[in-house]
Amino acid sequence: MTARTLVIPLSVIERVQLVALVEQFADLVSDTADASTDPALRRLAPDAYPDDDDATAEFHDLTRTDLLGRRADDAGTVLRMLRADGPLPDVERLDDAGAMTSAPVTLDPHEADAWLRTLAALRLVLASRLGVDTDPDAAGDDPRLFLYEWLGAMLDALVTAVADD
Amino acid sequence: MSTTSLQPTIAHELGAAPDVPWQTVVWDDPVNLMTYVTHVFRTYFGYTAEHAERLMLAVHHDGHAVVATGAREQMELHTHALHDYGLWATIRKAPQ
Repeated sequence: MTARTLVIPLSVIERVQLVALVEQFADLVSDTADASTDPALRRLAPDAYPDDDDATAEFHDLTRTDLLGRRADDAGTVLRMLRADGPLPDVERLDDAGAMTSAPVTLDPHEADAWLRTLAALRLVLASRLGVDTDPDAAGDDPRLFLYEWLGAMLDALVTAVADD
Repeated sequence: MSTTSLQPTIAHELGAAPDVPWQTVVWDDPVNLMTYVTHVFRTYFGYTAEHAERLMLAVHHDGHAVVATGAREQMELHTHALHDYGLWATIRKAPQ
């Protein structure tokens, strides 16, 4: 019995967009200098004991580096897969037809986990940047809101596909 | 959960309970998708689809839910794993 492969439907332009987002995300989680001050990074390693600063600090010491490292590893997996079908085109030189060309990603259930966690974490970071983690109307007409919703739809579709296994 | 005036007296008589169970609590957040949270409960804890969905709905409707109870070390393990999935999880002593 073979594992079912899953498909993430992407156009060429969507692949390019996703690579850009995940690259930025990978840079963010790889530079841990601001891990305790950047609200987006704090959300990726939340306080475990809300009423006990010492216990929380101890828990962070044990887990934060690991958590951010695993985010970087998962992002690396996703990027490798997005780049696996050859160099991505220069967006400037894409015409509409080229941009909309289908370029789906196939993944096995093991790879799906890295994608799920990366998409979820990416959404947490974007939500923090947009302010929608505290105020649903904070984004206004920030163009990144579209990306946030796009990633949500992608994550939802992938979770559903994995659950059907 | 309310406490009666009787409980502090009992606690004083018996001394602090030696093995107070700890809890892992998951909190509702406006970012994580319900489908994703259900998926995490199902795959990480091994719950059935129905149980995982009920737990997710409890988090969603009540603002938080206890997802595990036991020794502190075990709760830290679960919390670390849930953070790995992007869930907002905390640890507390089980209310007496």
